[in-house]
This record gives sequence, structure tokens and C-alpha cells, in this order.
Amino acid sequence: MAKKYEISNNIRKLRFFANEMTQQELAEKAQVSRQTVIAIEAGKYSPSLELAFRIADVFGVEIGEVFDCEVKGE
Amino acid sequence: MSYQEKRVITSIVTGVLVLAAYCIYAFGRFNTGAVAQDNLKFWAGTILIFIGIGVVASIVIQIVFHILLSISIAVKKKMQDEKCEDKEIEKKIQAEMVEDEMDRLIELKSMRLAFVLAGIGFIAALVFLVLNYSPIVMLNILFFSFCVGSLFEGFTQLYFYRRGLKNG
Repeated sequence: MAKKYEISNNIRKLRFFANEMTQQELAEKAQVSRQTVIAIEAGKYSPSLELAFRIADVFGVEIGEVFDCEVKGE
Repeated sequence: MSYQEKRVITSIVTGVLVLAAYCIYAFGRFNTGAVAQDNLKFWAGTILIFIGIGVVASIVIQIVFHILLSISIAVKKKMQDEKCEDKEIEKKIQAEMVEDEMDRLIELKSMRLAFVLAGIGFIAALVFLVLNYSPIVMLNILFFSFCVGSLFEGFTQLYFYRRGLKNG
């Protein structure tokens, strides 16, 4: 069975620790729409590597602290 | 509802209106007997005219939609903060209407579906021609398949905006 990669994120938590940054503020800083931030936060959209790095850059953390990957199946 | 969803709904409504206008005009004239049954020139001309109407209508409606949306954003911003400057309003409008990688991906995926539907319509049109149906039937199937493909493109976009694109 092929491995399945489930990507999760800590954006909500990071926004909270970033002085309760709004989704709109994050969207503006990462140069995407608020709709995209909502989708990423809800796990409905897997961003490109470039956008993932941009989001990590907004929070000033490593990409691994924003996104996490759980491997399922073998 | 987001800006992207509103924009897609506007284009779907435009598509439906143009298709309805075509049906009312072309089939209305055909049913009254104003057009001969084998008048291919009438159908080709009508379809060409309605393609033109569709392009112009979608451009005009999108322009009007963007103007109205900008006005509504500006009014909302002014109501929230009466002292806000024009630059802030401009920034808010730009932030609202930004297009990013998710929009492009959704557009690509939905366009693929539209092409599949148009392709199926083309094959169906050829099959009807082989089965000795009139070329008028073929023309209409082609036109409808493109229109339906375009409408499905819109509905697919709405679906992806709601459901998301989990696997990119």
C-alpha cells in the first residue's frame, strides 16, 4: 500500500502567539487572498513550497514549525 | 462569500443569460417558421452573433461587478472608520481582489473539465452527423457543449472554493 502524507498546520496557534494576527493580515503579508489563508488553516488546501516558506517567514519560524506531516500506511 | 466566489457566480449568471437569450431568439424564430429547416447560414450567423454578445456581455458585466464591489468595500470601510484615508480604502480593495496560486490552480482544474465537456460535445456532434442528422443539430450540439462546458467550469470553481484542494 502506498504511503499517504497528511499535512497539518499550526497557523491558528502561530497567529495567536503573533499578537492574535488576523487572517487578513497574514494574507496580506504572505501575498495571498484571505480565502487561501482560510483554506490552508482548515487543511483544505496544501500550499506550494514557496507559499509555505512565505508563511513561515511571516511568523519568523522554520517551515517545520508551521507545517507538519503525518505518514499513514506502508 | 469571497470575492472569487462572487466573480464566478457573476460569470455563471452571464453565461446562463446569454444561453437563454440564444434559445429564446433562435428557437423562437425556428418554431414560428421564420427560418427554413435547412437554413444553415441562419444558424451559423446566429451562433456567431451570440458568441460576440457573450464575450462583450461578460466583459461589461465583469467591469460593472468590479466597480460595484469596489464601491461596496469603500462604503463598508468608511462606515467602520469615517476618518480612514483613500489610500487605506485602495489597499483594502486590492487586498480583497488579490489572485493567488490557489485561484490559478482552481482555474486550471475547472478549465480541464470544461475542455473535456467541449470535447465530448464535439464527438457527439460528429456522431449525430454520421447518423444522418442535419448539420444544424451538429452546430447546436457544438454550441451547447461549449456553453455547458463554460458553465460547468464555473460550478467546478465554486465547488473547489467550498471544498478546497487538499492534494494540490
